[in-house]
Amino acid sequence: MIVFDQLKRNDPHLRVLTLAVLAGLWWVQIISYRHYSENQKAQSFRTVRIPAIRGKILDRNATALAENQPSYNVTIYLDELRDGFKKEWARVRPPRGTKVTLAQRRALEAAARYRVFSNSVAEVARVLQLPIQKGYSDFMTHYTNQLALPMRLLENLSEQQVARFLESSANPPGVDLEVHPTRYYPGGSLCSHVLGFLVPDNRSMEGEVADFNFRLSDYRGRVGIEGDFDAELRGRAGVKSVLVNSLGYRQSENIWVQAEPGKNVILTIDARIQAAAEAALESSMPNARGAVVVMDPNTGDVLAIASAPAGNPNAWIPKINPDEWRRLNDETQRPQVNRAMQENYAPGSIFKMVTGLACLERGLDPAAKIVSNGEIRVPGRNRPIDDLAKPGTYDFKEAFVKSSNTYFISNGLRAGIESILRIGQRLHLGERTGLLSSQETAGHFPTMADVRHGWIPPDTAYICIGQGRMDVTPLQMAVMVSAIANGGKVLWPRLVQRIEPADPASDTPPIEFPPKPPRDNLDVSARSLEITRSAMLSDVEEGGTGKMAMVPGLRIGGKTGTAQVTDSQGKVVGHTTWFASCAPFESPRWVVVVMVEEGSSGGGTCAPAAGKIYRAIQKLADEPRPRVVANN
Amino acid sequence: MHPLSVNERQSRIDWLMLWALFGLMVVGIFFVYSATMANESAALIPWYNQPWVRQMIWYTVGLGAMAGIGMIDYRILARWSLVGYWGVILLLIVVLIPGIGADRFGARRWLDLGPFQLQPSEFVKLAFILGMGNFLSRPPDELRSVRLFWQALGMVVLPFLLVMKEPDLGSALILLPVSLTMLYVAGVPPRYINTLLGASGLVVGLILVDVLFAPPQWQMKLEDYQKRRLLVYFGLDGVPREATPPQRAEARRLQRDYSYNVDQALISVGSGGWAGKGWRRGTQNALGYLPRAVAHNDFIFSVIAEEKGFMGSALVVALYSVVLVTGLRVAGQARDRLGKLLAVGVVAMLFSHVFINIGMNIRMMPVTGVPLPLLSYGGSSVLCSLIAAGILQNVYIHRRS
Repeated sequence: MIVFDQLKRNDPHLRVLTLAVLAGLWWVQIISYRHYSENQKAQSFRTVRIPAIRGKILDRNATALAENQPSYNVTIYLDELRDGFKKEWARVRPPRGTKVTLAQRRALEAAARYRVFSNSVAEVARVLQLPIQKGYSDFMTHYTNQLALPMRLLENLSEQQVARFLESSANPPGVDLEVHPTRYYPGGSLCSHVLGFLVPDNRSMEGEVADFNFRLSDYRGRVGIEGDFDAELRGRAGVKSVLVNSLGYRQSENIWVQAEPGKNVILTIDARIQAAAEAALESSMPNARGAVVVMDPNTGDVLAIASAPAGNPNAWIPKINPDEWRRLNDETQRPQVNRAMQENYAPGSIFKMVTGLACLERGLDPAAKIVSNGEIRVPGRNRPIDDLAKPGTYDFKEAFVKSSNTYFISNGLRAGIESILRIGQRLHLGERTGLLSSQETAGHFPTMADVRHGWIPPDTAYICIGQGRMDVTPLQMAVMVSAIANGGKVLWPRLVQRIEPADPASDTPPIEFPPKPPRDNLDVSARSLEITRSAMLSDVEEGGTGKMAMVPGLRIGGKTGTAQVTDSQGKVVGHTTWFASCAPFESPRWVVVVMVEEGSSGGGTCAPAAGKIYRAIQKLADEPRPRVVANN
Repeated sequence: MHPLSVNERQSRIDWLMLWALFGLMVVGIFFVYSATMANESAALIPWYNQPWVRQMIWYTVGLGAMAGIGMIDYRILARWSLVGYWGVILLLIVVLIPGIGADRFGARRWLDLGPFQLQPSEFVKLAFILGMGNFLSRPPDELRSVRLFWQALGMVVLPFLLVMKEPDLGSALILLPVSLTMLYVAGVPPRYINTLLGASGLVVGLILVDVLFAPPQWQMKLEDYQKRRLLVYFGLDGVPREATPPQRAEARRLQRDYSYNVDQALISVGSGGWAGKGWRRGTQNALGYLPRAVAHNDFIFSVIAEEKGFMGSALVVALYSVVLVTGLRVAGQARDRLGKLLAVGVVAMLFSHVFINIGMNIRMMPVTGVPLPLLSYGGSSVLCSLIAAGILQNVYIHRRS
C-alpha cells in the first residue's frame, strides 16, 4: 500500500526524535546528575559553621580559670515574619493598574517589610523595657546578606531581662531567646598573662570544612595558654545546613556535623597561691610593675606566675573596647608584657648565690674573712665599684647576709669568670625554658667565647654581683633557686599538667605532660649548697637584708637584690629589686621569686611581698586541700 | 465488506491508545497536585478550586468531548471544517481587540468567559488540521497544481500570523511541522515541499542572524521577551560591541533573569537522577526555585522528572510514544485520504508539543510556552488534546464503513 509506505517513511523521523529526547533525558538526568544535584544543593542549602564550645582552663585543683557562661540574646527569625510581610504588602500595595517601576515596587516592598519588622522590634523593646537600636540599614543588611540566619536584636541580657522575656506571654512571632556559651574568666585578671585572651576569628581551622555560607561568631586564642593550646581548646566546629527557598527564607534546619567540644587544659597553677601572689605584688608599692614566680623546687611545677599590672581578659569578649585598649598599651605600665618571662632584668645581688657557689667550689673557705672599706677597685676600671654594705670584715655568711659587693667581687675574681659561667650555663641562663611560646625571652648570659674576646676584669666584677653583661627573667631565677633548694637539679618548669576531653565519660584518654627529667645538674658539692642555703636562711632569720620576709613557723631562706638600671651612657636611671627565696628550710617545697621594677630595695619592697605569699601558702597548707571535683 | 452495526463500531475503539491517554491523565492529576499543593497557602483554597480538581474536571469534560467527536463520522466533521476554520480565525481576530481579549503576562491570548478563559490559539490547531485535511483530501493529481499549493500555504500563513500577533510563538510554530507533514503525506510533489522547507529555513535563519547579530537599527521588531528567549537559547547577551561596562553588566543580569526558568528546569530535571526524590518531595518546586507560575503548566515535566527521575520521565515519554504509534497505526488503517491526513495531522501536532516542551525542559529547544499535552495544567490545552485524540479514535472507528 502506497499510503503505508509513505507512513513508514514518516515513522523513522518520529522514532529518531523520540530517541533524541530520551538521549537528552539520559544526558541530563543520569550523566549530569551530579552536576545538577550539586547546583540544586548549592542554591537551596546554606551551610553555617557552628563553633564548638571552648574547653576550660583549670588550675591544679580543678578550679576554673577560664570557662564558659551562657549569654542570652534575643533574636528574630525573619522567615516567621513572612505572613506579616504579605499582609502589610496587601494593605499598602498600589491599586492594580497603577504604573510603578520595578525599582519603586521593590522600595515599597522593602519599606513594608521594615514596618513589620520594626513593629515586632518595638514590641520586644516594650516587653524588655529596653531601647533597641535596629534601623532600616541594619535590617536591610541582614535581609540581603543573612536572611537564612536569625537576626540578633539584643545581646547579653541580664537575668532580670531574661525573666521578663520568658514571662511575657505575647512575644511577637519569630522572636526567640538564644543561649550561647561565652568565654568567661571568673578570676578577672587572675593569671591573665598565662591564660592569654581571645580575639574574634571565625575562620576554619585546618582539616575543617572550608567553605561555609555563614559563620557564627567564634574566637581564636592569642598568646598564653589560650593561644598555645588553641587547637585543643577550640574543639571542632560543627556544620548546620539551612534549607532556604528561592527568596532566601529559611525553611528548615538540619545539623550535618555535630560540633565537638574543646578539651580542658589543666595547669600546674594553684589559683589560691596565684591570687596571693598577685595580691602581694599589687601591695608591694603603688602602681607596682613586677613579677612573681612560685615554683615547686622538686618537680618544676609552676604554682603561680604573676605579672603586674595585668589586663582583664574578659575585656576582649566580645571585642576589646577602646578604653581598655588604651590602658593595655600604656607606655610605662605595659600591662600586656608578662614580666615573669617576657622581660630581661639584671638579677643584681640574688646572683651572688651563683657567685658564692662558684667560689666555694674553687675552694673558698667560708670562714675566711675579707676587709671591706666600702668600695672596691677593680683593675681596668678607674672608678671604684660602690658597696652598700658597711665597711668591715666579712666572712661568707656575713657577706651574703649584708650583700657585700667587695667580698663577692674579690672572691669571684679570684675564682675566675669560667667557674661562674660554668654554673650559669648549667642553669641554662640565656636560654628559654619553653614554658609559653609567644611570651618568653631568653635573657642574656656570656659564653666562654665572649670571655675570650675583649673581656676585662671589670666585666667579671659586674657578673659577680649580677650586673653588667647579663640579664635574666624571674622565671629563670626561680629555676636557679629551685636547683639550689633541691640539691642541684636544674628543672624544666612545667605549667600544663594534662589535657582532658570535655566529657569525663569519654573514651579518649587524657594527654599527660608529666614532669620532665631534669634539664641539667649544677654539679656542685652538697657542702657548697648547704653553705649557700644556710646563708640564705640567715639573710631572712638573722636580721639580714631579707628579714622582712620572715613568717613565724616557716623557715625561709632568701636573698635580696637591688640591681642598677643604667642607660646607654652607663648612668644609673633606676633599680630593679628582687627577692629570691625557698622554704621550708629543712626540705624546700616552695620557691618564691619576687621582682619589682623601681622598688626602693629588694629587702624593702620584695621581701615583704614574698612574706605575704608564704603566709598565704602556710595557711593553705594547714587547711585541707580542696576536693578535686571530677566533673567541673 | 458487510455493514456493521453502530454498537460493533463503537466497540472497535483503540483501547491501547485510550489506556495510554488514561495513564497520562493519572500522571497529570498527581503532578499537578504535587506542583501546586507544595506550599501551605495552597491548602487554604477550597477543594473544588484546587488546580488538580479543576484539572480532573477538565479531563472529564475533555473525555466527553472526545466521545462526542468520536460519535460523528469524521467526514461530516470535515464538511463543517471550513466553518470551524473561519470561526477560529474570527476568534483570533476578536482576541486581539483590546478590551475583549484578556491581557496576561503581556500577551493577549485569552477570551474571558466568566468561570473559565478560552484560549483560541489552542483550538486553531484543531480547526487547522480539520480544514487542511479537508482541503488536501482531493485527488493527488490536483495537488500538483501550483495554485492549490499557494492556497494551502495561505491557509497556514493566515492563522500563523494571527497567533504570532498575540503573541503566542509556541502555538504558531506548531502549525509549521503539522502543515508540512500533512502536505507531505497528502502527496504534494516533494520539490514544492523542499522549496518550502528551504525557503522557510532561509527565512528563519535570516531572522535569527538579524535578531542575534545585526545592529539595533537593522533588527526586525520582535517582542522583547521573544528576542530574549532566543538570546538565552543561544547563550548570547545581546550587547552591542560599543556598550559601556555598566550596560553590559545590566544586560548580563537581564540575561540571567531570563535564563532563570530554563536553568531551574534543568536543575530540577538533572537533580532527579535515576529514581527521583519521590512524589511531593521535589525541592525545586516546593522552595519556589522553579517559579510557581509555570511549574504546573509549561514546566510540569521538570516536576515529574525531579520527583520520579529518569524512570518517571522515560515512562512519560513511553506513554506518549504509545499514543503516537497507535495514532500512526490509525493513519495507516484509515479508510480514505481524509482520515489518514487527519490522523497524521493530529499525531504531528501532539508530537510537536511533546518534543518542544520536553526539549525546552532539557535545553534542547528554546523556551516557547508550549504545553505538554494532558499533563500541563490548563483547560484549553487538555480539551484540545482530548479532542485531538477523539479525532484519532474517530478515524479508527470509521475505518471500514
